[in-house]
Amino acid sequence: MSNAEISHRPPARRRGLAKRFGPSNRRVFPWVLMAPTLIILFAIGIYPFLYALWIAGQNVILSKPFIPRFFVGLYQYQSVIQDPAFWHAFRTTIWFTLQAVFIEFWLGLGLALLFQRKLRGVSVMQLLILIPMILPPLVAALIWRYMFYPGAGLMTYYSSAVTSWFGLGEVPFLSHPAIAFQTLIFVDVWEWTPFMFLMMAAGLASIPRQPYEAAEIDGASSWRVFWTITMPLLRPAILIAVVIRTMDAFRTYELIVIMTRGGPGNATTTLNLYLTKTGLEFFDASKAAAISLIMMMIIIVMSFVFIRVFRSRTEAAE
Amino acid sequence: MSGIDTRITSPDAAPVQRNWWVYLILIGVCVLNVLPYLWMVMTGFMDKASAASATPQWIFTPSLEAFELLIHNKGIMKNFMNSLIVSVSSTFFSVTIGMFCAYAIARYDFVGRDDVSFWVLTNRMMPPVAVLIPIFVTFQTLKLLDTLPGLIILYTAMQLPFVVWMLTGYFRDIPRRYEESAMVDGDTWFQAFRKVTLPLMMPSITATAIFVMILSWNEFAFATFLTSTEAKTMPPAIMAYSIGANIEWNVLGAAVVLITAPLILFVLVMQRHLINGLSQGVAKK
Repeated sequence: MSNAEISHRPPARRRGLAKRFGPSNRRVFPWVLMAPTLIILFAIGIYPFLYALWIAGQNVILSKPFIPRFFVGLYQYQSVIQDPAFWHAFRTTIWFTLQAVFIEFWLGLGLALLFQRKLRGVSVMQLLILIPMILPPLVAALIWRYMFYPGAGLMTYYSSAVTSWFGLGEVPFLSHPAIAFQTLIFVDVWEWTPFMFLMMAAGLASIPRQPYEAAEIDGASSWRVFWTITMPLLRPAILIAVVIRTMDAFRTYELIVIMTRGGPGNATTTLNLYLTKTGLEFFDASKAAAISLIMMMIIIVMSFVFIRVFRSRTEAAE
Repeated sequence: MSGIDTRITSPDAAPVQRNWWVYLILIGVCVLNVLPYLWMVMTGFMDKASAASATPQWIFTPSLEAFELLIHNKGIMKNFMNSLIVSVSSTFFSVTIGMFCAYAIARYDFVGRDDVSFWVLTNRMMPPVAVLIPIFVTFQTLKLLDTLPGLIILYTAMQLPFVVWMLTGYFRDIPRRYEESAMVDGDTWFQAFRKVTLPLMMPSITATAIFVMILSWNEFAFATFLTSTEAKTMPPAIMAYSIGANIEWNVLGAAVVLITAPLILFVLVMQRHLINGLSQGVAKK
C-alpha cells in the first residue's frame, strides 16, 4: 500500500503549476483566489459599464430603431448637463440623502446608546425595532402607501381627525410637493434607522471597557466621555454604516417609484427616477447611459472623499 | 473624593438606574416600527368589505378569502418557490466565491490591493437601472431572460461586493499565526484554511449570508424587468396587486404576509447569529 501511495505523487508538470500559482507564490496566489470574483464582476459590472460608455457616445433611441446611429462625441453629456431637470433631480437627490442619512445616523446611535443600559426584554425589543429593515423595501413602500392613501390609510384617517379641528381637510401627504418630499424622508428614516442602530450597537459592543474605567476615575462627565472616547472608538463602525447608507439612499428606487413616482410634478424626482424616466419611458438609451455614468462618477467621488477623510482622521486619532 | 467614593461603593450597592423613561422611548419606537406592518398583515386577514371600509376596522372576523384568491386563482406559490430557489442559490455562490477574494485582500500584500478592493466596491455603486439595458440585451442573446439561472448569476454578481467588503474586515481580525502554525504542523494551505480559519469565521460568514439572503429575496428592479412568467419572483408578483384605480387592500395585505413570513421566521431563528457575527467584525479595531 505504501508503495502505491508514494507512486501517486503528482506528476512534475502539476507540481510546476502549483509552484507558479499555488499558495507558496505570494505574488500570484492572491490573484488566483480573487479570479472568480473579478471575472464575475467584470462580466456583470464592467461590461455593462463599457456598453453604457459606448451607447452614450451615440444617438440610440430604443423606440425609434430606424433612425441611423452615429457617433455624437460628448453631445449626450452636454445635453444632460444643460438640462435643468437634471440639476433639479441632482439637488433633490443630495437633499434627500443628506437629510435621511443625518437623521438615521443620530437616531440609530441614540437607540444603540439606550440599549447600553441594563434593561429587560432586550432581545424582543431589538427584534421589533429591526422589523422595518427586514421588510423588503418594496413592502415598506407599499405599507406606507397604504398608510398615507387618501380615503383609506390609517395616517390619513387619524391625521384628518386632528386637522378637522382646525377646519382643514385631509393632509395631502403625497400630493403636495414639499409635504410629499418630507413624507418620503420620513418613510426612509422609518425603514433604515434600524440598520444604523444595528451597526452602532455592534460597534459599541466592541469598544473595550478600560478607557471608560479610566474616565470614571478622572470623574469625566458623560457628555465628555461620549465625545472623547465613544465617538473616536466608534469611527470604523460609523464609516462603514454611513458609506453603505449614503450609497443606498442616493439610489433609492422602490420607495419613490411606489409612493410618488417622482411627483407631484417633479418634486420627488431624484436622479434615479430621472434616469428611469429617460431610459424606460422616453427610451432615450444614449441620454440614459450618459446620466448613469454621471451618477456613477458622483457616487464614486463622494465615497472616495468619504473614505479618505475618515481614514486620515482615524489615523490622526491613533 | 467623590471619584474614590463611586469606585468603592458601586460594585456592592447595586446601581439604581431610573430607566422608566428609557422603556417609554423604546416601547414607543417598537410600536412605531411594528404597527404599520401589523396593520397591513391584519388587512390581509380581512374580507373585502372590512378592508374597503373608510373607518379603520380594528375588530373584525378573520377571513382567508384573500389567501385563497392568491394561492388558488393566481398561483402565487410558484413565485414563492422561484424566490426561494434564487435567493438560496445566489447566497451560496456569492458567499463561497467572495470569501476567497476577501481572504486574499485581507491576507496578502500584493501590488494594487487597495485599488482592487475599491474597484470591487464601485460595482455596488452603479444604480440598477443604469446597467439594466445592457444586461437585458446580453440576457436576450444568451437566452437567460425569464430564467432562474439568469437571475441567480445576476444576484450572485450583485451581492459579491457586499460579501467581499464585509468579510475582508472580519478576516483581518483573525490572527495570521493560527494558520501559520497549522501549516508548520504539516497542513497544506487549504487544510489550514478549512480547519482553522473557516471555523473562526463562521459567525461572520453566517451574519453576512443572512444579509445577502435578505437582499436577494427582496430584490425588485431587476426581477421586474428581467422576468415575465416563468421565473417571476415574489416582489414583481406583489407589485401587480398595488396598481390600478381600486386596490383590493386585503389581497395586497395577504401578499405582504406571504413575502414577509419567511423573512420574519428566518430572522427570529438567526437573530443571535446576526448580532454575534456583526460584533465579531467590528471588534478589536
